[in-house]
Amino acid sequence: MCSYVIETKRLTKKYGEQTAVNAVNIHVEKGRIYGLLGRNGAGKTTIMKMILGLTPVTSGEIDVFGQNIKGREKRVYPRIGAIIETPGFYPNLTGTENLEIFAKLRGTAAPNAVKNALDIVGLPYRDKKLFSKYSLGMKQRLGIANAILHDPELLILDEPTNGLDPIGIAEVRDFIKDLSTEHGKTILISSHILSEIALLADDIGIIDHGVLLEENSMETLKRKNSKYILLQVSDIPKTSLVLERQFGVTDYSVQDDHSLRIYNTSLDMAAVNKALVVQDVAVISSQLCNDTLEDYFKKITGGEGIA
Amino acid sequence: MKQLLWAERRKLRHSKIVWIAVFAVVMIAVIVFAEGQFVFKGSRYIDGAGWFMTAAQSLATFFVLPAVIALLGSYMICREEQEDTLKSLRLVPVDEAKLTVVKMIVAMVFSILIYLLLFVITFAVEAIMHFGTLSIQTVWGFLFTYFINGIGVFLAISPIVALVARIKKGYWLALVFTEIYSFAGLFASMSETLKTVYPITAVFQLSGYYEATIGNKAASLVILIVCMVLAVLILNGLSRKNKKSIY
Repeated sequence: MCSYVIETKRLTKKYGEQTAVNAVNIHVEKGRIYGLLGRNGAGKTTIMKMILGLTPVTSGEIDVFGQNIKGREKRVYPRIGAIIETPGFYPNLTGTENLEIFAKLRGTAAPNAVKNALDIVGLPYRDKKLFSKYSLGMKQRLGIANAILHDPELLILDEPTNGLDPIGIAEVRDFIKDLSTEHGKTILISSHILSEIALLADDIGIIDHGVLLEENSMETLKRKNSKYILLQVSDIPKTSLVLERQFGVTDYSVQDDHSLRIYNTSLDMAAVNKALVVQDVAVISSQLCNDTLEDYFKKITGGEGIA
Repeated sequence: MKQLLWAERRKLRHSKIVWIAVFAVVMIAVIVFAEGQFVFKGSRYIDGAGWFMTAAQSLATFFVLPAVIALLGSYMICREEQEDTLKSLRLVPVDEAKLTVVKMIVAMVFSILIYLLLFVITFAVEAIMHFGTLSIQTVWGFLFTYFINGIGVFLAISPIVALVARIKKGYWLALVFTEIYSFAGLFASMSETLKTVYPITAVFQLSGYYEATIGNKAASLVILIVCMVLAVLILNGLSRKNKKSIY
């Protein structure tokens, strides 16, 4: 059974001649945090807007909870909480009054829903401060509170930590993580900050100029980019056999027909080389690599990297 | 619909425009009261029972209240887009056509309440000054006139509210357009025919502020209904335009 909460198939958005999003295939699994990472203008917000049905799709398909959202808004929207770009609220009302309006319109049944949502984001309940007097960070927190107000299964958060101070970012990160781990929420979050996504996401999609360059689990990505020994050899099966049988190494990954990565960097490479030569395997090169995630992103986005 | 009405009422809390309207009503009363101090044939205007309640209507309707009501109506419609709350409402989801209808209903109720506030103020002054000479029938008559003025003025200005919402150039435009529109009513009131067909003066024909035949009243009612239909058509176009921009 398919467990994708969001799945896009060749999702494309064009504005005239300009392609903002190009044949993007995103797979967001249930109960996981999916980080959409890309520079400003890469197409993250457009993808989120299309998923939510806030902007028309040029071509491709979107399934949310296994169905196309268009025409089913009344059934699907109550299961989603979202912040897209800067959250908009009524400036003449307080945060509590704003949330009470959205709670009423959504028919939120829980009597303490507004108070709970404000507590989670660290904003005071029944405060007299009007939204027009809120700082950018407070506005962002209120936006998140509005997104979680009705206890949705899926959260779509477009740069939710924009404008927050470092402590605020850490707090928001913690409760987003908590929403996923403790409450089983599925979260699609976008950011242009690599460190933020790296700390938060279970899965990651890297987007650049509207193209999804990579979609993978964070674990795999981290593994790809931690310290490792890159070994280039003439025979991969024989090398694997030597590594496993003679050195007890299982923590390695095969890259292609002639190279593999060994993640145990304390391995005695001289002994490995010797053993391989004995087994008639030519060792072309062996080097210690130390790529960071940022180096990796620079590489795949064409050198400019992501902050 | 009930929830939308509740929400629209709540959205007006702490709203400056509401206080501007209340201030405008009080100022109308003060100005008309000051005007009433002028002496004509040995007595002040204000000394005539019912003069204050009568005079306040024309000043309010030709110069002030239609513009204030139009300002509030177009503010309520335009604000969702200007304050960027429309996307949050779409995600609820809220039916935009219903939302617009509710906003128009709230604007009409506001128009009625504003006229009734003016009635309360003018009646209070009249009651203090002429308690013995004011009959219950007269007071009920004025109450009815103010009530119909409230509904009628809203209907007369509704196309402007809708138009400003459609052109999306800021709700303050509604204030300017309606001020010119209501002021022109002063000139329309000089002609018997124009008095019946010009929407602002048609309100007075219908409410009984002007003495009018049944035929004139019916014609004025038709004019005000046409205004409402025009507003609905403009808003319908706006709703379709918004939907087109999404899908």
